[in-house]
Amino acid sequence: MEAFGATQWSGFKDFCQFASPTRVVAGRGLLDGAGFEFAKEGASRALIVTDAGVRATGLPDRVADGLRGGGVEPLGVFDDVPQDSDAGVVAECASVAKAEGADSFLALGGGSVIDTAKAADVLFTHGAEIAAYEGVYALPRAADGIGPPLPLAPLAAIPTTAGTGSEVSPVAVVKDPGREIKIFVLDFPLAPRLAILDPESTATLPAPIAAATGMDALTHAIEGVTSTEWSPFGDAYALHAIRIIRDNLERAVADTSDEQARGEMLVAANLAIVPTGLGATGITHSLSHPCGARHGVPHGVANAINLPVVIEFNAAGDDGVADRYREIAELVGAEPGGSGAAVGSALADWVRELTARLGLPRRLSEVGVSEESVPQLASDAMGEGSTLVNPREPSEEDFAELYRRAL
Amino acid sequence: MAYFKDAQDVYDTLGKLFVDLGADDELGPRFRKADTIVRYEFTNPDSQITVRLQPNQPGEVDFGESEMEPDVVMSMEADTAHRFWLGQVNVTVAMARGQIKAKGPVAKILKLVPMTKPVFPRYKKQLTEQGRSDLANV
Repeated sequence: MEAFGATQWSGFKDFCQFASPTRVVAGRGLLDGAGFEFAKEGASRALIVTDAGVRATGLPDRVADGLRGGGVEPLGVFDDVPQDSDAGVVAECASVAKAEGADSFLALGGGSVIDTAKAADVLFTHGAEIAAYEGVYALPRAADGIGPPLPLAPLAAIPTTAGTGSEVSPVAVVKDPGREIKIFVLDFPLAPRLAILDPESTATLPAPIAAATGMDALTHAIEGVTSTEWSPFGDAYALHAIRIIRDNLERAVADTSDEQARGEMLVAANLAIVPTGLGATGITHSLSHPCGARHGVPHGVANAINLPVVIEFNAAGDDGVADRYREIAELVGAEPGGSGAAVGSALADWVRELTARLGLPRRLSEVGVSEESVPQLASDAMGEGSTLVNPREPSEEDFAELYRRAL
Repeated sequence: MAYFKDAQDVYDTLGKLFVDLGADDELGPRFRKADTIVRYEFTNPDSQITVRLQPNQPGEVDFGESEMEPDVVMSMEADTAHRFWLGQVNVTVAMARGQIKAKGPVAKILKLVPMTKPVFPRYKKQLTEQGRSDLANV
């Protein structure tokens, strides 16, 4: 076995792992039935976690009514979650849940809101600070640490964007203001018990955010297929997500009243994150996270810009990887035949053209990243966990070159 | 049967590798760019190595109890650690399977993984020179 990732690109792998433990309900009119569904997961007194923007839409009141209708008491609304949540907000949220006598959480929002609720659930259940659980499979376990992870209080998530897929992922990421870093927690209990996908929850999503979050979902799907940690199970999710995104993303952005397209995009984002949530990712994320941390570039926008250069880099490296990109290119009608480099170039162009049609920025220089930033960004990218599972091993110099191509 | 007979056996082999890497003019400064303190907690046999990887600091390595407060704790069987440094363990798979557990800001340590590649033959050579062909050829 190789020390730096599998080299098998098809067939029965030496090892892969798959789990998608969240029960998902998708359809219309589900906000009114939130309580009926959440009660099945053992909730009876729920704290609603959201942000001020979502609260202004009136959605939390609607969901609170839905909880009541199913016999789940809404204990209040915690709407203090900022765009980039942190450990202090998490602690406050857990404290409010305790004070109100909650037995469960319902997260209503985008990735920051859902991750805050996940992390708050950890503190609510196990105590301490979220930094104490930072790491991979670091939540408390039975049998002196080698048994199953201990369960958290029931958590339901209703996404109001179609991109992060946090409503089914076993990951939470929040800032640690004291250390100026992101706290990354990955463990199975973090996957919410219930996800409710109802296009009414994305009805007020502005088109530019729908575009950016949709490109985030596309990135998850493509990297899920091309990561060294790909699995046949993940492929089934990610490749279908790509089909849905191909057919619906532009529709959902062009006409934000298109409920059908919005619903499809909620499903696509949900499918796309499943392999990524288990570590099947790649260096588009390695490039994009530092852009967000150092320059405030929204994650979906950074992914849309960085994805094409990464496709070109990876597809040129190995025939097996190129065949995985070829399968994606066939799905989107961009398969030109020929070498891996040709496939990478054609698929990258398809992504660039899609990004342009969506009205998103196409170069890092358009979103505040300059040539002077490149060495620091490249160093940061080397430290990203996604770098280890990329299909082609990059050096720091490679990262610098990729950033320059995206400038 | 475990590769190492006791904690001292771990320190004499794996521990020596960490000490030598810390003193290496080329690799030492590169590893110290991680800017962290990492503790390796091994089982079977129970043993512990704490390493200071901080720029402009000496490459300090403690065996057993240490006063250095770690940022990152990596837990695994000593056999897994041994096989990793021989280049036989896919670290992402080992983490997914729970064979390696990582607590703390793991990105700081994952950043170092690509740098470990040239260390694999060096570890094997060290073991051979120590007369430990039993460990070098697992």
